[in-house]
Amino acid sequence: MRWTRRIRILWQGTFLALSLWLLERLAAGDARAFRTGVLHEADPLSAASLALADGGFPVALLLAAALLLLTLVLGRFFCGWICPLGTLQQLSSWLLTPRTRRESLDVNRLRPWHAWKYALLAFLLAFALLGSTQAGLLDPLSLLARGLASGVWPAVLHRPPVPGGILAFALLLAVVLASRWVPRFFCRALCPLGALLGVLGRFALLRVTRGKPACTDCRLCTFACQGGDEPLGIHRPGECHVCLNCLDACPEHALRYGLVLAQPDRPARPDVGRRALVGGALLGLVGAPVVRASGGGREAAHPRLIRPPGAVAEEAFLDRCVKCMLCGAACPTGTIQPALAVAGLEGFWTPVVVPRRGGCEFACTRCGEACPTGAIRPLAAARKTGYDGAPPVRIGTAFVDRGRCLPWANQIACIVCEEMCPTDPKAITVARADERRPDGTAVRLQRPQVEPLRCVGCGICEHRCPVGEEAAIRVSSVGETRDPLNRMVLGS
Amino acid sequence: MRKARGTAGGDPASGAPNGTVGRREAAIRLSQAALAGVAVAGGAAFFAGRVKAAASAPAIPDWRVPAAGPAARAYAARGDDAARNVRRVLAALGGMEAFVRRGDVVLVKPNVGWDRLPEQAANTDPKVVAELVRACRAAGAAKVVVADLSCNDPRRCFARSGIRAAAEEAGAEVLDGSQLRMVAAAIPGAADGLEVFEPLLRATRVVNVPVAKHHGLSRATLGMKNWFGVLGRGRNRLHQDIDRTVAELGAVFRPTLTVIDATRVLLGNGPQGGSLDDVRAVGAVCAGVDPVLCDAWGAAQLSLGPSELGFVGEAQRRGLGTADLAQVRELGRT
Repeated sequence: MRWTRRIRILWQGTFLALSLWLLERLAAGDARAFRTGVLHEADPLSAASLALADGGFPVALLLAAALLLLTLVLGRFFCGWICPLGTLQQLSSWLLTPRTRRESLDVNRLRPWHAWKYALLAFLLAFALLGSTQAGLLDPLSLLARGLASGVWPAVLHRPPVPGGILAFALLLAVVLASRWVPRFFCRALCPLGALLGVLGRFALLRVTRGKPACTDCRLCTFACQGGDEPLGIHRPGECHVCLNCLDACPEHALRYGLVLAQPDRPARPDVGRRALVGGALLGLVGAPVVRASGGGREAAHPRLIRPPGAVAEEAFLDRCVKCMLCGAACPTGTIQPALAVAGLEGFWTPVVVPRRGGCEFACTRCGEACPTGAIRPLAAARKTGYDGAPPVRIGTAFVDRGRCLPWANQIACIVCEEMCPTDPKAITVARADERRPDGTAVRLQRPQVEPLRCVGCGICEHRCPVGEEAAIRVSSVGETRDPLNRMVLGS
Repeated sequence: MRKARGTAGGDPASGAPNGTVGRREAAIRLSQAALAGVAVAGGAAFFAGRVKAAASAPAIPDWRVPAAGPAARAYAARGDDAARNVRRVLAALGGMEAFVRRGDVVLVKPNVGWDRLPEQAANTDPKVVAELVRACRAAGAAKVVVADLSCNDPRRCFARSGIRAAAEEAGAEVLDGSQLRMVAAAIPGAADGLEVFEPLLRATRVVNVPVAKHHGLSRATLGMKNWFGVLGRGRNRLHQDIDRTVAELGAVFRPTLTVIDATRVLLGNGPQGGSLDDVRAVGAVCAGVDPVLCDAWGAAQLSLGPSELGFVGEAQRRGLGTADLAQVRELGRT
């Protein structure tokens, strides 16, 4: 094995281990201020989507721009050397494939479907242009983080169940297992980030070239080729992951990776027809309004569409959220979950608060600290709780269901919601009442009522309510700080 | 099954000649062996757990020390130094040595229910907890465990209350709700069927150390109410007849010592408070072998008479102790 390959494997292992470790630390509640989302911040696909959707220039774009510049020099080294999802696929292909060497040769040829990813990229960017960031659905970093954060950790750490997580995990599993049949199938055919890097990678200064006289056309170089970019034929630097396996495999040492200033021929365009590109973009331009019209929180607030504290208004939120679920991994109570239907089709897999699962910790601000894109802004604890003097950050309002509440409906004493209420003074107060049980015995009851201007919507009341499967006090999004129109009380 | 991969000349990718095991093959075999091992161990653990669960739930032990005969059933000390107050009441009771033998496993059960700072008086003062841990260690305890099942996120509660740091520094093993294993136990009464955390059943001595504070339903939460914190899911139903259930828990859980922390007491917005306006610095600690008497003393620090608390009356009727405050010996202020 040549040193280039050893070093590459070392890099890949390091970045995979680092990203898994950071995610694990985040979920374990490590109090140290790791920048868990740093890879996500350097993600040019997220940055491009955010810039198109939000019209702004996210600070994170600086890191992403650096990655793009490096890609212009080195090619798609990110895919072959850094991307943890790429590494996982490579690992699974190496471990699981029962391919013969003849089959490997065949499977690593450049195929027409390698161009799908460019059409997908056009589709996603067009979608973003109309103000709906969907890049996170297939962005490899989001895909991996989401699958682990909402699919694996809840199972391993005995957290509350996460219905949307199993789908996220299923997609992750499918991506990783697909490599058994086609190595790095996701990278070659679907990855929109790979496509974006490929568009620049084909101009890369450093690339794999073939010294013609030494080459015997044995094609050994394609046996372990990750990108399916045909180092032997018309090499496609836009598809090449710079894994450098080909250099290692060449018995004649006829391949080299180095500076190519004078291009012998024009850089091979991505093999994508103009029709596919335009079609993808048009589909995005038409699809975005249609998806939006299917409903969600954009035009009208939804009672159970409760966003984590610090979340920006719904329009901006859908611009910025890349569905990585780092917020959910950071949440100590497991109340932040990937949405299935509550946020509409375009809000699929965006984080929502499900109070029955946990309740938002009053002074906790971890979700905002973990968010890599500013969809959830970081809050100081004093700001969130209102201890700094300004009104606290509200994510909704609790309502007592008098038809289910024990003291209201059944003349049975209970004050659990009042006890749990963290605000000061409490948003849940009790009204005393002397009543008779159905059997005639006298009882003194304390019946909960909510003062909406004090309630922050944290939902610990709903979480702890002893009334079975559906709580007798429930939070709905009205009164949330982030939406000045979603209000009910005059003057609030 | 894997023959297909082998070709004449071995696998050049792994550089393994025929007859030896390539790196990939080795990785596959190792992971298969590991998987099989995990499966067998997991299966065994699973079935072992089921066998254990099928056995009848153990009863809660009685942790009282029969021979201990302090002159009074409870002592109270006042002063600005909480740790010194603890030392004084313990000395009056005959020292921790009268209660903890060499080799004992002691559970110290503070109230760490809430994500609040010590100044907010929603949790037991960390200095009081730490001083008790030190006293148990000095008396020869093999191990001192500090544990509680919090209402807020357990990690935040133990960190911000200061109790994790203080108790660990004093030499205790500190376990929050995310680290505690729940086990079945026989609890007669309304709490029947609820689980308790495991270290409770392993302890040979138990020191109950609640903070005295206001509660919206029972008016005050003190020592007997503090047993809610050893119970798992379903304890929120106990509030439906709280005076009876608190007294019932007092009958089930018989601690070696009850120590009421009134360093700061919470007079309103209980049991978690928030505003410093609701906190009064009393600077007192009471310790005794009579949990009802200790609760009555704690209520007095909140300006509540024993007759105002339903659970104190209920506990007296059950013969769990006396609420006669004259039996608390005040050691005075330093």
